[in-house]
Amino acid sequence: MMNLLNPGSWFGHPAPLLQANKKCFINFDQRRPLGEYTFVVCDTELTGLNKKKDELISIGAVMVRDLQIDLSSMFHCFIRPMNMDPTQATLVHRITPEQLETAEPLSEVLPRFVEYIHGSLLVGHHLPLDMHFLNKATRLVMGGTLSNPGVDTMRMAQGYKRVRLGHYHEHNPRTTSYTLDDLGREYRLPEFKPHDALEDALQTAYLFLYFIKKFRKGGLITLKDIFQSGRVGSFRY
Amino acid sequence: MEQNSDVHVVAPEMAVSFFRSILPFNGLDDATLHDIARHCRVDFYPKGTRLFTVGETEITHLYLIQRGGVKAFIEDEQGVVTLKDFRGEGDYIGALGIIRGTLANLNIETVEDTFCFLLPREIFLNLVEQQSSFAHYYLKSFSEKVVATAYNELRYHKVSKRSGDDLYLFSVRVGDLVKKLRKVASDRSIQEAAAAMAEYRVGSLLVHDPEDEENVVGIITDRDLRGKVVAAGLDYQLPVKTIMTGPVQTVLSQALCFDVLLKMMATSIHHLAVERGGKIIGVVTSHDIMLLQGHSPYYLFKEIRGQQTISGLYILAQRIPEVIRGLIREGAKAGNITQMIAILNDHILERMLSLLEDELGSPPLAYCWLLMGSEGRREQTFKTDQDNAILYADPENEDQKEKAEAYFKVFAGKAIDHLVKCGYPLCPGEIMATNPKWCQPLSVWKSYFSTWINAPDPEELLNATIFFDFRSGFGDAGLARELRTYLNAQARQKDIFLFHLARQCMATRIPLSFFKNFIVNRDGEHKNQLDIKHQGLTPFVNFARVLALKFGISETNTLARLKALYDAEFINRELWASANDAYELQMQQRLIHQLSQMEKGGMPDNHINPEQLTDLEKRMLKDAFTVIERLYSVLDKMYPVA
Repeated sequence: MMNLLNPGSWFGHPAPLLQANKKCFINFDQRRPLGEYTFVVCDTELTGLNKKKDELISIGAVMVRDLQIDLSSMFHCFIRPMNMDPTQATLVHRITPEQLETAEPLSEVLPRFVEYIHGSLLVGHHLPLDMHFLNKATRLVMGGTLSNPGVDTMRMAQGYKRVRLGHYHEHNPRTTSYTLDDLGREYRLPEFKPHDALEDALQTAYLFLYFIKKFRKGGLITLKDIFQSGRVGSFRY
Repeated sequence: MEQNSDVHVVAPEMAVSFFRSILPFNGLDDATLHDIARHCRVDFYPKGTRLFTVGETEITHLYLIQRGGVKAFIEDEQGVVTLKDFRGEGDYIGALGIIRGTLANLNIETVEDTFCFLLPREIFLNLVEQQSSFAHYYLKSFSEKVVATAYNELRYHKVSKRSGDDLYLFSVRVGDLVKKLRKVASDRSIQEAAAAMAEYRVGSLLVHDPEDEENVVGIITDRDLRGKVVAAGLDYQLPVKTIMTGPVQTVLSQALCFDVLLKMMATSIHHLAVERGGKIIGVVTSHDIMLLQGHSPYYLFKEIRGQQTISGLYILAQRIPEVIRGLIREGAKAGNITQMIAILNDHILERMLSLLEDELGSPPLAYCWLLMGSEGRREQTFKTDQDNAILYADPENEDQKEKAEAYFKVFAGKAIDHLVKCGYPLCPGEIMATNPKWCQPLSVWKSYFSTWINAPDPEELLNATIFFDFRSGFGDAGLARELRTYLNAQARQKDIFLFHLARQCMATRIPLSFFKNFIVNRDGEHKNQLDIKHQGLTPFVNFARVLALKFGISETNTLARLKALYDAEFINRELWASANDAYELQMQQRLIHQLSQMEKGGMPDNHINPEQLTDLEKRMLKDAFTVIERLYSVLDKMYPVA
């Protein structure tokens, strides 16, 4: 357990992987056409929603290159939680306690994920939540946080609706639902297996593709256009 | 990165289940499907996105539509757009270009927000090379294999199972049924022949030339011995050639039992010699074939023939669907099935009218019971409306005329009534022998056709087209032949008349929009159904009729007309083959649709719900519809508007 915490590495000396990743974004240029960026669409499953106590138990992610979902490079893993309550996991997720008991610990899994997302933009549905737990995890085992800029598909959905309906001043109308499933139904996306990090990531990727191509057809050509139009993303979480 | 254990080796379930649901991928094992799914990309194209441009787009991937739909079209130099196809969920784009290594040959644009799986070209080419089903599926729109799969699908998914699955009419060839050949020389005595038959325990003997054993000149049967010899008190010592039937009717040994049975039923000849390589190898009898199966059309046929009362025919007519059902289960093609229906209906009619003649006394003049429309074309399915008429010889004097009118009025009235009781509904347009207008002597019939042809009124012609498909149903077929000869001579090269017919034919729009609606139909709100008879089949019927009249072809059956047109080189082989397949497939679809309606206790109709079609059926129907476009372009060239 001690090596997990590895205190030597989390004061001022982030792991080399994190440093290399950070370098990618020092001179990050938002003005390139959308197709030139690589996006990683990810989804995490958690033991619960308590930001202090709960932890990651699964990460699923798919790569979007040339604005196409690349099914040949996907990331999916389970993580053995440090404090495991065996009854909890099966409630929402279709993850069995055995799967978690035999899963690798965070210290093994996370560096591979960081390597996987190297140089890519992160995309997620309500991304701040995922980022909170990912950054909490990287601080714990890699001594630093992720520098990847992010795009939140929930904010994209709000932006898209504002633009389409012309409600520029009416922020976040409460009448509409922005859950992944409801948006999927609304925009007629294919159906996915629920509560599986990989399938959820894929569903988010479909939604992302839908919005970004709709935006692009509407004349938003660069990443900066997208960021500005709907304030859909951020540089730091 | 892929070497890492958590970079998943399993494809997402969503992608795999998609491939599992579409042709021809559904034939692959799960491991292969996972592998294919993992090599794909997913792309999204908002509505109105151009995917391919003719002659420009290099096709790097096979596109498989997961959600949404596209249209395929071409555009000429003047910018005139011709729509070629709509493709929806589960359909593919770009296969031919990849296989042939050419640039796009159609423009493709999304008509809906569309998600596609993109399968890299190399992987697709590997599949085509290694999986024969892929080559068959993508290479030929009507390759035999696909047709066979479609028919199988129709048979097994749409017709419910019943016992007696092991029927052989369509798999056994008569050559396999033939028993050892028994012959007798034609100069031998009747008694010697009868002794030989008793010894061999056979019901028939072939009769050969005494000089040449290979030269079969006739046949004798038990029935001949009974009827021509014993009952007639004929001398047993006469040579067999005095009672034999000759020349003998033959069938080829490779003929299917089904076809042979059809021949026997159509000719009422029950013993046929079987020929292989120009030599007679034996005899096949209706009994031999009957033994193959229980619910046979032949039993029904025999019962109809032996029926002594008209009311006894009612129940027999109701059994026709049961027999047809058996044939569909066995894999009969629509062309065969409709022929069988026509033969059985004809026999009901023949038996009924003969019994009616017995009841009313002989008619004062020779007459012919004419069948029109689908009956005339031998294309009835289940429960076709009556379309009939009476044509009688021209009376020589007023007295004869009055007698004929009186007789046929009563005759027609009773006949139509019996037909209704047999289950053939009345014709709503009153095209029936009971209508005085359609119960006329030959000269009047000639004047009808002459008017339609020489002074065509488009409105009237529209209702008259079914008359051009008449044939003799019962009675003096010579009268029908004479009328046909007259009609052919009149119609040939009558351009105004043919022009109207051709234009009327082209007025039926190609139902490609059916698939467009099908694509955009999201939640079953639009109850969008295809009228397979009027939208799908009628264009073929009309096309064949126009050309048959133009070129003086007497056939009335659509497939027979097409064949005759091809044989005489009026249409090319390619067009004939596609039209034949497309027509027959739709007939099949219609038959099975009606059969399943009847099995559920409903009335058969022609409305097909697209949601009940499998991918393959949709594809086949769509291919069939594109053939209509080609038929129209042939007509359009012959009879241009300007």
